Amino acid sequence: MMNYKWSLLARQFKRPLLGCSYLNGGLVRIALCMIGFVLGSDAVICAIDPTDDAQKSTAGTQRQNVDGIVLQPRSVEIQNSNRWQTVTLQAQLNTGLLGGEIPSEQVRWKITNPEIAKLENGRVVPLKDGLTSLVAQWISPAGVGFVDAIPIRITQADKAADWEFRNHVQAVLARAGCNSGACHGALAGKGGFRLSLRGYDALADHFTITTQDRGRRIELADPAKSLLLTKPSEGVPHKGGLKLPIDSYNYRLIAEWIAAGAPIEPEKSVKLQRIEVLPGRVIMQQGEIQQMVVLAHYDNGRIEDVTHWAKFTASDESVCQVDENGKVTIVGYGEGAVVVWFDSRLVLSRVTVPFPSEVQESQYASLQTANPIDRLVSQQLRELKLPPSPLCSDGEFVRRAYLDTLGVLPTAAEVKQYVESGEPNKKEQLVEHLLSRPEFIDYWAYKWSDMLMINGTLLRPEAIKAYYQWVRGSVEKNIPWDQFVREVITAKGNSIDQGATNFYALSQDPETMTENACQAFLSLSIGCAKCHNHPLEKWTNNQYYAMANMFARVRAKGWGGDSRNGDGKRTLVVLERGDLIQPSTGKPQPPAPLDAPPIDPGLSTDRREYLAQWMTAPENPYFTKAIVNRIWANFFGIGLVQPIDDLRVSNPASNPELFEQLAQYVAEEKYDLRKLMKLILLSNTYALKSDTVAGNEQDRKFFSHYYPKRLMAEVMHDAICQVTAVPTKFEQIEFPGADFAKTEFYPEGTRAVQLYDSAVRSYFLKTFGRNQRRIVCECERSDESSVVQVLHLSNGTTVNEKLASEKSVIGEWLKENWEPQRIVEEAYWRSISRAPAESERERFVKELEAAPIEERRQVVEDLLWALLSSREFLFNH
Amino acid sequence: MLRLTSAATVQTCGCTTRRDFLQAGALGALGFSLAQYQAAEAAGKVDPSKSKRSCIMIFNLGAPSHLDTWDMKPEAPAEIRGPFQPIATNVSGIQLSEILPRHAQIADKFALVRSCFHRGAAVHDAGWQIMQTGRQFTGGINTPHAGSTAAYLLGRRSDLPPHVVLPEPMGRGGGNLPNGQAGGFLGKAYDPFALMADPSQKDFKVPDLLPPDNIGEARLNRRQRMRSIVEEQVKKFESSEAARMMDENFQSAYRLMTSTQARQAFDLSAEPVEVRERYGMNRFGQCCLLARRLIEAGVRFVTINAFLTVFDEITWDIHGSKPFTSIEGMKNIVAPMYDQAYSALIEDLHQRGLLDDTLVCNLAEFGRTPKVNPAGGRDHWPQCFTVYFAGGGVRGGQVVGASDPIGAVPADRPVEPPNVVATIFHSLGLDLETILPGPSGRPFPIVDNGFREISELFA
Repeated sequence: MMNYKWSLLARQFKRPLLGCSYLNGGLVRIALCMIGFVLGSDAVICAIDPTDDAQKSTAGTQRQNVDGIVLQPRSVEIQNSNRWQTVTLQAQLNTGLLGGEIPSEQVRWKITNPEIAKLENGRVVPLKDGLTSLVAQWISPAGVGFVDAIPIRITQADKAADWEFRNHVQAVLARAGCNSGACHGALAGKGGFRLSLRGYDALADHFTITTQDRGRRIELADPAKSLLLTKPSEGVPHKGGLKLPIDSYNYRLIAEWIAAGAPIEPEKSVKLQRIEVLPGRVIMQQGEIQQMVVLAHYDNGRIEDVTHWAKFTASDESVCQVDENGKVTIVGYGEGAVVVWFDSRLVLSRVTVPFPSEVQESQYASLQTANPIDRLVSQQLRELKLPPSPLCSDGEFVRRAYLDTLGVLPTAAEVKQYVESGEPNKKEQLVEHLLSRPEFIDYWAYKWSDMLMINGTLLRPEAIKAYYQWVRGSVEKNIPWDQFVREVITAKGNSIDQGATNFYALSQDPETMTENACQAFLSLSIGCAKCHNHPLEKWTNNQYYAMANMFARVRAKGWGGDSRNGDGKRTLVVLERGDLIQPSTGKPQPPAPLDAPPIDPGLSTDRREYLAQWMTAPENPYFTKAIVNRIWANFFGIGLVQPIDDLRVSNPASNPELFEQLAQYVAEEKYDLRKLMKLILLSNTYALKSDTVAGNEQDRKFFSHYYPKRLMAEVMHDAICQVTAVPTKFEQIEFPGADFAKTEFYPEGTRAVQLYDSAVRSYFLKTFGRNQRRIVCECERSDESSVVQVLHLSNGTTVNEKLASEKSVIGEWLKENWEPQRIVEEAYWRSISRAPAESERERFVKELEAAPIEERRQVVEDLLWALLSSREFLFNH
Repeated sequence: MLRLTSAATVQTCGCTTRRDFLQAGALGALGFSLAQYQAAEAAGKVDPSKSKRSCIMIFNLGAPSHLDTWDMKPEAPAEIRGPFQPIATNVSGIQLSEILPRHAQIADKFALVRSCFHRGAAVHDAGWQIMQTGRQFTGGINTPHAGSTAAYLLGRRSDLPPHVVLPEPMGRGGGNLPNGQAGGFLGKAYDPFALMADPSQKDFKVPDLLPPDNIGEARLNRRQRMRSIVEEQVKKFESSEAARMMDENFQSAYRLMTSTQARQAFDLSAEPVEVRERYGMNRFGQCCLLARRLIEAGVRFVTINAFLTVFDEITWDIHGSKPFTSIEGMKNIVAPMYDQAYSALIEDLHQRGLLDDTLVCNLAEFGRTPKVNPAGGRDHWPQCFTVYFAGGGVRGGQVVGASDPIGAVPADRPVEPPNVVATIFHSLGLDLETILPGPSGRPFPIVDNGFREISELFA
């Protein structure tokens, strides 16, 4: 057995230690990490009995790569007798990142001066004023001993803290759920008692509690008789049930606050500056349990442990779960966040759980490039122990890049030329070529038309055309994204000459304009704040109306919005005066873009100019990321944030460092989106095979391989037309209720991705999940497959009529008497961009040769059908 | 053989573990053979005496006013009790609204639960997901529709898909939330098959169910053979759920389109005109009739959406003002259509001896405000509403639970959405302790722990 010499360690403590020092006795390595902190001479650490069960790490978690231990937080300051500080001991991994919490029972804990503080249920509890320290010792399963210590300062231990209404009472009411949406936080309150949702309006709540209804809710002389306490403790019947048991800390807090006169602090007293969660990032393993610690930082320097008042949720419950006390358990692999809410603030802790695979460093070689995407993706893959798949073939790359960049299949000649080219920079050339193709304009104009809701059941035909052509023109001219958005926001004039003004024909009141602009350009859904503060985000009801007031002066003359009648001509003007009333105050909210400072309401200039500047400023944390995520998702199938237009704080990115970096890149490149596309297309991450390798089969969001994705409805449709050489006619607009109108916008040969309008009648597009453009939301598009889609491919008109058409490519092959071999070759190249394998060629040729002459055409049709319904065709891979 | 993996979890008997059973289920609508089903039965997860059970879920989209239909308050003040009178039924002590006269004649067949409530938002879509899956979606996890869970655990019983939604999935509800009418974390393989057509239309047929006339059996076989030549070549799709899904859809579709059974089940013209008219020659009526035919043909679960959206359609959503429905609209259009079709379905199932094995449950996303609003309508009210059940082992002619004197909150025997879903599972013979594999293998009980079926219904 090992012989521990902890007395040596005690001497080490007698002098100040900076950084890490260790004593290597051959058996025991002791790491001491201390931050400029002098331990008193009384720092005597007891010897460890090696037979002590507490010192043996229990099985269950195999802690590897542990390099040290770290107590959190790094110092403890407790003021007053009725407060405490939760502490945890974390493993320090050799990667420099924090590992999971070390179970308390495995740790030897010590407070050097036990008269000053004690440790109770993982909390440091004050006893007497003074300085001391908390020391933790732990021996790893490998037999290595570690020590860490943090300073403790106790002040005013003889006196209980005064409870503050804003910071404490409201926190209790929120934690107990009293002011939740289902209870008294409902707009109408509950049982005649109404609080602001999650306590956003302290002044109103204080009035309600202490003064409203003749002050019947509190009893200053006998706090326990207060309705505010008898109800939630069920001293009298309470429909909401037991929320504050009489013996609870929170009950006592409210009682003490009432006894103190139920005061409210003046507006300018101690304010919450920010909240912090520890650990902010942690690498964990199956079986580990982590207590999250939440600290509130106030503007007077006070730091309080508010773990017991915070609310916790997990962003991905398939990775980790969290209970109401902030205890995190691991249930899967990957990465998820714990979202912490306290006093209308949100903060995230990132929890990483590496996959259980063994990966060789050499497997990352393909991602060692100068491209920042490759660098940051491989960094994360290393942390997660996910091996990347190998690089795809040239043939696979061409097809992938054509479909993702242009929405069209490459021709056989285009694939072959690329594969056969020996030019060293052929990839750069291909990418440049793709970005300059006319199909590029169609494809991206279509994407932005989804986002801008260009829908023929909402706008009249001439306006649809004008709106679409404005979008298309912008893509063609490569207008920088920030300018494009500014042009929409500040659009005015006639809806036919100024296509962008149709944004305002779709959203005719300031509230809808606000919500649609935020959703489209910032990927923020702020609708909740229309009626109350957003319950899970930072947006307040006042901010909503401040923002909506930026649009208050937008007016229009002409067509009024009838979807079935009228010319659609509408002239947008901006008045020089006028405000939107905030309904909860009956007064206008000073106009301001969300959290930006308000502008002078008296100014007669167009407020939207200011709004557009704010929105498209590179400092706006949402604007750049919103477009980065849309572009990224186009190429990789999923966004760095999912859903792709949901940038809530509580919905973190799968790779935050990469997201930041790309946003910075786009801003530096002055919002030239083609630059970002080029960066993506030239990265090796984008060129990884879609086949998985051992160890990355489970990965769905860290880009260790290319994720096969079903072609989007319009692209699949156009590819079928391209392969068969038979276009579709688009002749009708479909209104709700089987009501159709003719359209003559689309000459023969128009591809689906060239349609202006989502209401153009097409069973194929509808069935394959095109974006119906009824609301601003990417959720309207579906790339999933269904039995109904397969039935349509098999039995429906789209494919069968094209195959049977006189004009189809099959007729040409037969007319020119092509050899079976040549037909099979060509059919493969046209549809799935590769040559048939020997066995495939053989079997198909045999089928063709065996067919009687009168059945020949049918057999070729069936060959092409087989290819068009294969997953190699239906997917980009 | 049921055992697919050695990773055993809970041992349920000597031979089969729960995980084995679940993974057998994971083979989905296609792979789950009768032999496997029997093995699952042997494992105690399915009650063999209920192997013929099926369920028709009628979803009263828009949310009926419980106070004007199944839970009248004639003693309450005028602004609560509303404009309609209660009428007696064929069960003494149970009264219903005068707008549902045919319900009154078959009250002995169904059981009312007047004390249902949920804690979700008073938003249509939120109620849809809570009522159909038993849970509100959180943490990015969409829980499966009860019918999808049943399909997953019970598999298919014929060529037809195990779970069908008529006439098509729910549309807009205004909240932009998932509507709960899908397989959720079980995967798209367990999404219901959606009809996507109106069976009351003259030329009704299931879109693309049958190949065009020029593609006979020989060509169909050739196409399948040729497609497999291409598919065999590439193995890269195996780890992609989307790609696996596509393949399963091909197999399901092929099975469906080549099945005589399926063709006949969907052929409403085979029904006598009187029968069709008894159900009502409208979308909902013919969906109810089609549901009966599908159950007869072996479909385990049929979900009928009474309406498709609450916007610009006359529905149960009686706010009293446009684009929603007025109370007259409910009285003159919605209730007669509904009353006729529901009573026809119950009588028809009863006469054919199918009712004992078919649970018909009528759900909605919530009830409506006790007080009539200034527009003469009522608004959303999840705090209390009525759901009702018939067949599938349920004893009709009873009322379970009660609301308070104004129908605002449950006064007795409160029932929550997981109890409703548990009741469906119980009727289908599923063990409520069964665990589903959630995202990344996280175990998910089929209903939240602690929630049981509404046992009084089966007493």
